[in-house]
Amino acid sequence: MDQSITPGANQEQSVRPVDTTERIKSIDAIRGFALLGILMMNIPGFGINWDFWYGMMHGPRAGKDYYTFAIVMTVFEGTMRGLFSMLFGAGMVLFMLNKKDVPGKPPVAEYYYRRLLWLVFFGLINCFVILWFGDILFFYGLCGMLLFPFRKMNPKWLLVIGLACVSFAMIKQEWGYSELREKRASYREAIVAKKENKTLTPEQQGAIGTWEQMEKNQKPDTTYSNDNLRKMRGNYWSVFNQLLPQNAGFEVDYMYNDPWDMLCMMFIGMALFGWGFFSNKLKTSTYLMWMLIGYGIGIPVAWMIFDNSWMNPLGLGYYVDHWRVSHDLFREFRRIPITIGHASLLMLVYRSKLVPWLMRALANVGQMAFSNYLMQSIICTFFFYGYGFGNYNKLRFHELYYVVFAVWIFQLIFSSIWLRYFRFGPFEWVWRSLTYWKKMPMRKAASR
Amino acid sequence: MHQPNSTTGTGSIYVNPSRILSLDVLRGIALLGLLLISVREFGGFTNNQQLFYITGTHGWNFKLMAAINILLDGKMLALFALVFGAGMLLYVHTKKFPVAITPADAFIRKQMWLMGFGLVNAILLLWPSDILFSFGMAGILLFAFTRMKAKGLFILAIVCTLVYCGKLYWNYTDDQKVHNKWKEVTLVEKKIKADSALGKKDTLTKKQTEDKERWEGMVKSFKYDSAATASEKKEMGKNWPKVFSHLLPVTQRRESVWFYRTGVWEISAMVFLGMALFSIGFFTARFKMTSYLLVGLLFTLVGFALAWWRIKANGARIIDYNDYIDHHPLPYNIFFPFERGLMALGYASIVMAFLGSSLLQWKWKLFAVVGQMALTNYILQTIICTLFFYGYGFGNFGHLNQWQLLFFVAEVVLVQVVFSVFWLRYYYMGPLEWLLRCLVYRKRLPNRKPITAEQNPS
Repeated sequence: MDQSITPGANQEQSVRPVDTTERIKSIDAIRGFALLGILMMNIPGFGINWDFWYGMMHGPRAGKDYYTFAIVMTVFEGTMRGLFSMLFGAGMVLFMLNKKDVPGKPPVAEYYYRRLLWLVFFGLINCFVILWFGDILFFYGLCGMLLFPFRKMNPKWLLVIGLACVSFAMIKQEWGYSELREKRASYREAIVAKKENKTLTPEQQGAIGTWEQMEKNQKPDTTYSNDNLRKMRGNYWSVFNQLLPQNAGFEVDYMYNDPWDMLCMMFIGMALFGWGFFSNKLKTSTYLMWMLIGYGIGIPVAWMIFDNSWMNPLGLGYYVDHWRVSHDLFREFRRIPITIGHASLLMLVYRSKLVPWLMRALANVGQMAFSNYLMQSIICTFFFYGYGFGNYNKLRFHELYYVVFAVWIFQLIFSSIWLRYFRFGPFEWVWRSLTYWKKMPMRKAASR
Repeated sequence: MHQPNSTTGTGSIYVNPSRILSLDVLRGIALLGLLLISVREFGGFTNNQQLFYITGTHGWNFKLMAAINILLDGKMLALFALVFGAGMLLYVHTKKFPVAITPADAFIRKQMWLMGFGLVNAILLLWPSDILFSFGMAGILLFAFTRMKAKGLFILAIVCTLVYCGKLYWNYTDDQKVHNKWKEVTLVEKKIKADSALGKKDTLTKKQTEDKERWEGMVKSFKYDSAATASEKKEMGKNWPKVFSHLLPVTQRRESVWFYRTGVWEISAMVFLGMALFSIGFFTARFKMTSYLLVGLLFTLVGFALAWWRIKANGARIIDYNDYIDHHPLPYNIFFPFERGLMALGYASIVMAFLGSSLLQWKWKLFAVVGQMALTNYILQTIICTLFFYGYGFGNFGHLNQWQLLFFVAEVVLVQVVFSVFWLRYYYMGPLEWLLRCLVYRKRLPNRKPITAEQNPS
């Protein structure tokens, strides 16, 4: 099934897109899985108003909505993007390994950077034309540009860099939390002074104001919510104007403050790829061990975070008074074991040949992951936003997942059919043609 | 002293014969010119402080300030980017590397280290307007274009300039929207007043009040505020941790929002232009001296005219934005992207013309020496200025006005030139250049020149 990735395998050592025969099917299957899984995290962003989260976090711990929320947040949140990031890192190494510099032609590095620039461009389209605020292509394109010098590094060091990125994210998280605690402390001091009927200094008044504003910001603002709802159910320009500042702000904020979220997983993915993890090269017992370790460590930690930090009916003040360290400190960390658990589980299923048809279907989805990702945005924006079917904020939380299932089934079938006739997914073809700056062949030879 | 040679610096101070004298000279000029702009921010001659002179009597401080705005503001950054673009091509295509490495690897590694230097300069040495981080990023983004033909590069330069103009115009339309809303609210307010005379009681809604306050806040920010100046002075006069916390949000905004919104276009346009000019041989004396001179003067004059208009329009805007926005369809800075591009190009041409003649050769060499150690000198500027102005140093923040700042800059320039000349007598490259080189090639490389060699840089 899986092919060796040694560059000597093919005769023609020119720079060109990877042929289907050279693809590593196990990687495609995992990528397909991750891609479908991403929609689970994205669907609330497409279909539900922001104030819903407040109700969810403070709501009763029962009912279909709650259980769906608990499972999604404990088992999947962050891990599908994590898996996707890992495979992105692996894919970048693959892209560079499969091609060799040819004298007289542009170096492979140039194709690498062109490819990523186009990815950034597609990310902007996804964000500002298709209007999906949770786009990741923009960030992947930019983060990918930083991976290049590390492609030949020893996996051990890649792992160290990946863990360093996580540590950095954790330090930042803890820093933010300690600032929050300081604000709370000065607020409490001021409140005590107020109760004793002392005259407050301007600083103390400021401290009370700051904290009260923060608590207020946590609560849904009905004026804003209703306005948002109206605009999201309006025509294209109404949705565009509503999302433009938010999406732009999100892009710059996330890229500058939180690239660690993606970089850590990309580096770990490159390391795992180097060890042959994704290309089905390890022993079955090794995969089994990593699955048990990953889930064994990750799920309890994730539950602890969900139980204490996500579900937080007593409010921010209570939380800050109660916990010296925020549970969210481990949010970035817990994704790693769970993600590795998912990947190991998938490799075990793949290897056991229990459901070969499903694995083939997933591999097809993964092979055209880029098209499928953009298609998820197109389908969901049309389903939810006002200029499409206008289902924004009309479904209950668990009902959103019916939409997810429908999209999954559609994508599994569509990808399989498409790849019977074509070599690449439609957007992959556009992307490749732009990268190599010429029209690439797309149809499969008739004699397949 | 060797004979004038405009293509390559074959003088004894050069390590690498492929160094291009004109690029070093221009880089040196840009680096020293940049200080005249950034010293305002270092020294606490803030925007707010400048408002005092713009709206006040137009005395000598204002004239000096306007002259610097016209001649240097934005142009030095543009010139720096121009040279950076040319340097990119030089590095990727012709450089001989001391270890076995592909140009792409060496280049990307160097850019990433530059970003690292930039972060240290901005966050630890406390220079919020650091450009190393931005140029590091821009280099990585634009690597894919290093083999493009000159025509394509020229087109991209123009496209980026137009996008930059578009972004400035977009900001203006946002202001226009705020202004229109304010006008609507004032009408409502008049009506309420008339009604209250008749005994009806009505007030503005929360949203209307917000709309009103937004515009009024904007107009107010154009007024000189002595309290703001005093509080800024107080903040910057504190110790390192306090200044750090005070400047961190400013730095972060510059590195993220500024770069994302306008910085990337502002820099890319000039980097593309620099790449294009390099590939047609502009920096290696392809054209005749008279053509350089004519083109240089022409571009500078056009840029000068645009700058003049901008200064006038800005004055009008600051004195009465309400009136400005009613009568002007375009923002005051709409031509700024072209103005600074043309002037940077004009300056570069004029310098090329002089380099081709035998005039003032020794002076250009001084700039070249500074430009050759640009990274070291840039960081050195931060160290000198922060220690002179900030509270944990000599605390002169906010004490100097425009002409006093000029003397300060002259002093720094003198120090930098002398330092560079002496340093390069004994070493092949500046200390930070050497460090960067060792980091990029992951190897300790020699820097000290053999003692026996006769070195005379002037």
